[in-house]
Amino acid sequence: MVKNYDAVVIGAGNGGLVAAARLAKEGKKTLLIERHNLPGGFATSFVRGRFEFEASLHELCGIGSITGKSPLLKIFQEVGAADKMEWVSLDEAFRVITLDENEKSDYLMPLGKEAFIAKLEEYDPGSSTVVTKIFDLIESIEKTLDFVSNIEDFKPSMIKEIFSEHTEFLKVANYSVDEVLKAFGTSKKTRDIINAYWCYLGQPTDELNVIHYFTMLHAYIIDGAVIPRGRSHQISTALLEAFTENGGDAWFNTSVKKINVKNGAATGVELDDGTQINAKAVICNASPYNAYTKLIDEKEIPEKLKKEVNAKTLGAKGFAVFLGLNRSADELGLNNHTYFIYPTNDNRKCYELSKKIATNDVQATVCLNRAFDDCSPEGTSILYMTSIFAGDEWSWVSVKDYHKTKLSFAEKMIDNFEKATGIAIKDYIEEIEIATPMTYARYTDAPAGTIYGYEASKEDGIVKRIVFDMIDKGISGLYFAGGYTTRHMGYSPSYTTGDMAAKAAILSMEKEVK
Amino acid sequence: MSKKFSVNGTFKDSVNTVKFLTERKSFINNAQAVLPTRTDDFGVNKVAKSIHPKEQKLVISRIEEHKALAKSYYFKSDVAPLAYFKAGQYLTFKLEIGNAVVTRSYSIASSPASALRGEYQITVKRISDGFVSDYILDNWHVGDEVTAYAPEGNMTYNPLRDAENIVAIAGGSGITPFLSLARAIDQGDEDCTLTLLYGCRTSDEILFKAELDSLSEKNEKINVIYVLSHSDEEGYEKGFVGADIIKKYAPDENYSIFVCGPGGLYKFLETELPKLQKERKYIRFEVFSSGKKAEEAKEYSIKVINRGTETVIKASSSETVLCSFERAGIEVPARCHTGECGFCRSKLVSGKVYIPEGEDKRRIADMQFDFIHPCCSYPEGDLVIRIN
Repeated sequence: MVKNYDAVVIGAGNGGLVAAARLAKEGKKTLLIERHNLPGGFATSFVRGRFEFEASLHELCGIGSITGKSPLLKIFQEVGAADKMEWVSLDEAFRVITLDENEKSDYLMPLGKEAFIAKLEEYDPGSSTVVTKIFDLIESIEKTLDFVSNIEDFKPSMIKEIFSEHTEFLKVANYSVDEVLKAFGTSKKTRDIINAYWCYLGQPTDELNVIHYFTMLHAYIIDGAVIPRGRSHQISTALLEAFTENGGDAWFNTSVKKINVKNGAATGVELDDGTQINAKAVICNASPYNAYTKLIDEKEIPEKLKKEVNAKTLGAKGFAVFLGLNRSADELGLNNHTYFIYPTNDNRKCYELSKKIATNDVQATVCLNRAFDDCSPEGTSILYMTSIFAGDEWSWVSVKDYHKTKLSFAEKMIDNFEKATGIAIKDYIEEIEIATPMTYARYTDAPAGTIYGYEASKEDGIVKRIVFDMIDKGISGLYFAGGYTTRHMGYSPSYTTGDMAAKAAILSMEKEVK
Repeated sequence: MSKKFSVNGTFKDSVNTVKFLTERKSFINNAQAVLPTRTDDFGVNKVAKSIHPKEQKLVISRIEEHKALAKSYYFKSDVAPLAYFKAGQYLTFKLEIGNAVVTRSYSIASSPASALRGEYQITVKRISDGFVSDYILDNWHVGDEVTAYAPEGNMTYNPLRDAENIVAIAGGSGITPFLSLARAIDQGDEDCTLTLLYGCRTSDEILFKAELDSLSEKNEKINVIYVLSHSDEEGYEKGFVGADIIKKYAPDENYSIFVCGPGGLYKFLETELPKLQKERKYIRFEVFSSGKKAEEAKEYSIKVINRGTETVIKASSSETVLCSFERAGIEVPARCHTGECGFCRSKLVSGKVYIPEGEDKRRIADMQFDFIHPCCSYPEGDLVIRIN
């Protein structure tokens, strides 16, 4: 069977869904293909007993609950999905606790710039002057990025403007978070608190690019974060609905066997059952890693791309414990929404320890009832704990040892949570589900169970990606969307790259017509 | 706003920024032009595929006939281990019967360890209107190859959730998941105690009695009590497994109750278990479908959209939407048939369905956007459903 489309989208993850929704909205005949029976990829939910668990989202930025700056909401509106979504705003940023007896610390930080600075001043008296300056820089960087991303028609005079108006961005663009924070003369305590979000990007702040981290701080702390009431599955399904309402075809339980490439150009895909889909554009929400090692004939891959996929390092592998508790959050004393629990405030050390199952003690835990209490039946609560692994030690866990290894790491996470917070939860577990790197591999075909795309290492930080990975990838008509691409991983970045990929494909189709 | 911030001074900062051009170039250029480890070759991906294969071809190596109108089917794979599982999980089989394509699930009776040796065992009992079970009992022979999906199911022991003592209540062929658990305990793969209260009509109907007696005898963690409802025989409890029998045999320490059996057992326990005043977390049922209350069946039609192709099939108000799919030979990825697993999730494009109370285990957003689980949805008019 042969079918013809303007565009085919491989994978209904966050990037693929937005790409498909945008293409359909712009009148392109689009086919979205997903191997699983659900849209969303990691952005999904599942039901156990009387609980519906969020599978991966902690907080979503770009919806703009504080300042109204909402680039993501704008995308959802434009593709016709926003009115199908329902948001709950958060007012707490995080509580960060260390397990190290010699370095015990416990900080609870709010969202909102002024509130954040004021609270930091309480914990670290005298810090507000310098922290205010840091926030000035964060806002200045954001202005540069807004300026650059709003350029539609490039004029040489803009270069002059960049060099005169955006000097701060240019000065810090290739530094790490730590280099910049230290240059401000911050105390260790201030840095420990500001850097607490590091696990959301998975890279230690001594090499994590400052633009990357500061952009995230802007999105969370200044602009605010939200939670979708129907879990991330609501976002995924709303995007799918918008896509099909605009005439898109979505095929689930369908796998792509091959991306067809001829003379350096993608011409469509071949499905598992042999069906050929011809398309002017192929949007790949499967990772470039999978595209190159599974979906494209090796002889069709240019040498440069082989080097690129070989140079980059796979990012964090996921692990999560989902708990349905038979007591309310109030009864248990689960007073916070987001708990970061680290072995130490030294995030380089945390990262190194996270390479081994025996030594990894990193966790980011969410009590969903603190976003909205009716997320679970009365008298119950939902707590989900996520950990990240650097390296690939799970690849050495055998089938026979799998269940035991999974169970004992989950137990360690629960123990660590109890130890850090002093809250007993073990006796109240009514439902439990555990996701390992194998689980992420099972549902999304993630290489080694990677959930963070490529590492945001010094060599592959966000600025380098934005500047270099935008350039022609060597296979024309093939566009990548999702966590492995220019904006790095995360919900907002993946949606954004989906939109970028769709727009690039549309532009190219329109040029062809002319 | 300060425009004066610099890290190492304006000059050094600018040099540092320019450096990223060369850093990036050498980062890519210094890499070898060969592809890295293929995704399918990572240990993680291999284990994921081994535990959750898309489907498994199983060859029947032996059939054991039981007295109680039941047969055990033993499968053996020579090539590779079969998908590993947790005691209590089930296998879903795909069968083509005439024009119909059906799936049915059977709890695995064998131990998890035996899967690693390439072996599974299931037990099928003849039941009234058991369309698929009857077909299997009459048509499966030694040497036949059958198709099963990966093991699924949540009635498994989890020490982080359950008490370390399990009181299992089994009715009839509902014994199989607990036989698996008993074997797993005996082989050291599960670390809990098992008090098995096995209800049958008469002693003739007891399945696996010799093995259960032997496990109970030799392993102090396992205790088996037979409860006969329709005959008074020496050495057996008489009556139904209810609160009194549970109290008589349950350990003094905290325990979890697991239940697997026919609908009648569940109905009875609905009034019995509350007498024990246990927290909900300590009571777990293997899910089953209660079906719809009998009423005069009305005939409807369903337009099925599958990858852009439309087919119109017959449906009845007294049968699930999934049942209509199966009759019409439309293959859908169904597993549990009880609304729980969500594999058959489909879009209800138009029309109305009835979902029995307590069987609606859909996600919030699925309700919002009219996605249904066809396995527990009954048509209330003509429908349009997109399955893929």
